[in-house]
Amino acid sequence: MISIKNVHKHFGKLHVLKGINAHIAEKEVVVIIGPSGSGKSTLLRCINYLEEPTEGEIIVDGIPLTNESNINKVREEVGMVFQRFNLFPHKSVLENIILAPMTVRKTPKSEAVKIAQDLLVKVGLADKEHAYPEQLSGGQQQRVAIARALAMKPKIMLFDEPTSALDPEMVKEVLDVMKSLAHEGMTMAIVTHEMGFAREVGDRVLFMDEGRLVEEGTPEEIFSHAKEERTKSFLSKIL
Amino acid sequence: MNFDFDLIVRSFPLLLVGAGVTVQITAFSVSLGLLIGMFVGIARLSNTWIIKALAAVYVDFIRGTPLLVQIFLIYFALPIIVGQRIDPFIAAITACSINSGAYVAEIFRGGIQSIDKGQMEAGRSLGMTWGQTMRHIILPQAFKRIIPPLGNEFIAMMKDSSLVSVIGFEELTRRGQLIIARTYGSFEIWLSVAFIYLIMTFTISRLVDYLERRYKIDDKH
Repeated sequence: MISIKNVHKHFGKLHVLKGINAHIAEKEVVVIIGPSGSGKSTLLRCINYLEEPTEGEIIVDGIPLTNESNINKVREEVGMVFQRFNLFPHKSVLENIILAPMTVRKTPKSEAVKIAQDLLVKVGLADKEHAYPEQLSGGQQQRVAIARALAMKPKIMLFDEPTSALDPEMVKEVLDVMKSLAHEGMTMAIVTHEMGFAREVGDRVLFMDEGRLVEEGTPEEIFSHAKEERTKSFLSKIL
Repeated sequence: MNFDFDLIVRSFPLLLVGAGVTVQITAFSVSLGLLIGMFVGIARLSNTWIIKALAAVYVDFIRGTPLLVQIFLIYFALPIIVGQRIDPFIAAITACSINSGAYVAEIFRGGIQSIDKGQMEAGRSLGMTWGQTMRHIILPQAFKRIIPPLGNEFIAMMKDSSLVSVIGFEELTRRGQLIIARTYGSFEIWLSVAFIYLIMTFTISRLVDYLERRYKIDDKH
């Protein structure tokens, strides 16, 4: 579904990604872990071209990310959830969700509203459709952000540290929504520091450090039988 | 010194006609300036260097030269290029809106830049184009923030429009001059002119305050 070939990314002199090769299969849940500054968020952002790789090739659902129209096509199929939610503050919850289906997919309003209401039920916020983002808690905002991304009926969902900006007691409600998505067979790439979640939900775990993919494997292989010293030392510090 | 109150009363209707013309110039110039400024402000943030450069040249040229000189340029130099005399009203509005556009562009640029980068990313990640995101997400938020500086620009334009009196266009200031030429009542007339300007700018600033408050409330719900 996603194929990443020899991807490099430079920010000026900073070499953030140093030749990443990875593959994400359909319906697979891949969790990317690693220390801050290891390039995991940058890699995720390269998948929908919010960051343009300096070198290398990314193919999403058979479409190579080469020109603007391809990129927009891919973005329609790839939902993204951000650490800081990035809801549109001037729009109600419902308006946040129906905007992209209506402008990009040209979905009629009545249909878009129906989709949005179903999604709000799914993320447990059916009663909040007329609320504005600032009236919601962080956890609620993030669930709206997930619903907003899902309204485009994406084939792939990217999560960039979705719980890092949340108060601890709100982490679970967001992870629960993500878990149910995974069980429905959504293809997902998740950057997170929630190791328990990674272990429980991930089909495969990628460990990154200093712009390189150090090790990958099943959660069991990574968390219990890591081969690389760097992986072991990272996990020993956080588990 | 004799203060001729009767002169004020007699001249007031004429001055009010002039004030009406001032309002007209200002309204036209600010509307056109808003349109120009919005596009130029966005152009200044473009990724295409030529668009960005053209926008920067425009803004720098207008902000770096006096409005008075710009009015002369439009009124006296442009006819040589187009080969016919230009109506003073057209010249006045053209000069004022081109001038206002440059200042409004800077206001828009600042407003757009003040919106969190994550908003554009969220829009783009949903498959919306840059233009769609700008229109539906960025500009509506930026617009609320720039209402106060736009109000200032509106008021500045109304006062600066007095400069078009130099090309003989009969707005409020020019009317005042003409009445004084006839009656020699410069103190009474300039006082009246100043008073009328004050009433007009005060009205605008109340209006802007009202808009600002309304949008603030809108923000909260």
